[in-house]
Amino acid sequence: MILVCGGLADSVTELVCARLDDCGYAYRLLDMGHYPSGFQINWHWRNEGPEGYITTADWRLDLADLTGVFVRYLGAEGRASPPNVVAWNVPAMYAEYDSGLMALLEGLPCAVVNRVRGGMSNGSKPYQALLVRQCGLLTPPTLVTNDPDAARHFYDECNGEVIYKSLSGIRSIVRRLQPDQLPRLSLLRNGPAQFQAFIPGADVRVHTVGEQLFATRVRSDAVDYRYATREGRKVEMEPTILPPAAAESCLNLAHWLDLLMTGIDLRETPEGEYYCFEVNPSPGFIYYEKNSRQPISAALADLLHTGVRSPAQHAKEMLM
Amino acid sequence: MGVYLLLGDPQDPWCLAVRCALEAGHNETLIIRNPFADPAFFSWRLDNEQSTSRLSWTGEEPLTGDRISGVFVRGPAWIDAAGWQPDDLAYMLAETQAAFVAWLWSLDCPVVNRYPAAIWYQPRAPLLLWHPLLRRCGLPTLETVITNIPQRARALKRRLAGAGVAGVVYEPLTSPARYLVTSDDEWERLETMQGYAPACLPYPYGDVQCLCVIGDQVVWQGSPVAEAARLEPALIRFASAAGLAFVELTLAPGSKGLCVVALEPFPRHDHFDDATRQRIAALLADLLVAAPDHRKAMPPGSPQ
Repeated sequence: MILVCGGLADSVTELVCARLDDCGYAYRLLDMGHYPSGFQINWHWRNEGPEGYITTADWRLDLADLTGVFVRYLGAEGRASPPNVVAWNVPAMYAEYDSGLMALLEGLPCAVVNRVRGGMSNGSKPYQALLVRQCGLLTPPTLVTNDPDAARHFYDECNGEVIYKSLSGIRSIVRRLQPDQLPRLSLLRNGPAQFQAFIPGADVRVHTVGEQLFATRVRSDAVDYRYATREGRKVEMEPTILPPAAAESCLNLAHWLDLLMTGIDLRETPEGEYYCFEVNPSPGFIYYEKNSRQPISAALADLLHTGVRSPAQHAKEMLM
Repeated sequence: MGVYLLLGDPQDPWCLAVRCALEAGHNETLIIRNPFADPAFFSWRLDNEQSTSRLSWTGEEPLTGDRISGVFVRGPAWIDAAGWQPDDLAYMLAETQAAFVAWLWSLDCPVVNRYPAAIWYQPRAPLLLWHPLLRRCGLPTLETVITNIPQRARALKRRLAGAGVAGVVYEPLTSPARYLVTSDDEWERLETMQGYAPACLPYPYGDVQCLCVIGDQVVWQGSPVAEAARLEPALIRFASAAGLAFVELTLAPGSKGLCVVALEPFPRHDHFDDATRQRIAALLADLLVAAPDHRKAMPPGSPQ
């Protein structure tokens, strides 16, 4: 049995449920838009992992029967407000709901896509960059600074070919630093920002699903193809095959982070080198699946059904 | 000779105690509240081959990363909220913490603690998230129930009563608060709470004993009972596996013996008496000055 935790208004969760239906794999949906309303839970931690069950008016799920869990936590906008809770207490209630679920998923022995702690590296892009270096992918020349002079020097050193983007997991549009923006660098005194040398080449989005890897080449003349249509630019995608070394590096990254599914942003330079920008622990893979027709959700469904365990977790247990 | 950076509030008692211990050994120290904002000038260059950073203040000689002998970290960088819109402040805090945790991992010197991202971003994670690692390291954990079914809570009450225990502990997962639930009125209120959110009910436990693991040393608040002292190898194994060179744990007798009942990646100063604090501070200074770098490799995101 598979447990899907998410909101049906979320297109990725909807796709996962549809694919599980297609494959004929039994699953239960824990609708996080309404959870815990309508759900009865009883989880008990004894010496080993959690035991117990979840029931609704229509079904009962024993934790021991789980082969896999897929989870996408929702923001406030995707949830129904809990009844009889004053507005300023609502975020705390959501945090309480999510914490219980995170604790459960952390202790389950089945495949979990993804456990929350593995994804925490996504809160810091330069932290991930340090990991990326160790896994054999390239990281662009990067400057993290609150010093306007250092930023100007970096801009000159890169001949003006510099982009800027957020340091944290907060999504930002990647933009080129333009000459008319240089006077605004004085605002850096308020806090740090990240600048990177612009890396020319083609974007390649990689999704790892367990031991499988799906690489999608993205053709766009936008600096950040995710927002290309907003700029009136086109995006085309097609499946591609990574060189073995780059593929192995991507799988190693996923293993290190203990993530059964990742979305990894690469750029292939004209010289055939692969730079890595980010590892997403909760990838919106529907966009890539729709445009490249790669069977990403089918691979995920198989993984959840067969219940493969994380190789990283297995290795860690061996070391203990 | 390098400088030891103490990153935290200048009034933080652990910062002050570690500074005292370091300066007693004639080491130069500097307490910085936020190295990433005015008046500090921070820059960190990273590429495939190298990582170099530099901190400076107007009119002072810059401090490059290779001149930093060790770093003691007491929490995320602080930003004065005055003058910020709430959304902008939240963004800047996220950006600053992202720079902070990554920079700590880029430094070659000893860093206490070089927090893995999972701990940096969830320092108050519920103890249940630590259960798998605690158990694998040989540290017993408390039996715990999470339920929103009043009948299951009452069944737990009956079971505990049968064992001579008068009630349960109600422990919200997102707060350090704990409530002993014994009277009928308290049980009623617990059932009301269950209508809002599943209640986390760890089994009751006895008197607590605090300790800190500092590197490969365990320092107890008071004298440990024999059962507690026997856990020292497991405690050290846990701290190492979690990637924490300085961590506070709390033990207490549960229904089946001594258990870990609390864990603090940013140890509290007020949990220890003066003599114990001094010993901890001296060990922290030793760790920063003499210990080899605790960084083995970038950690996985999870301490599991």
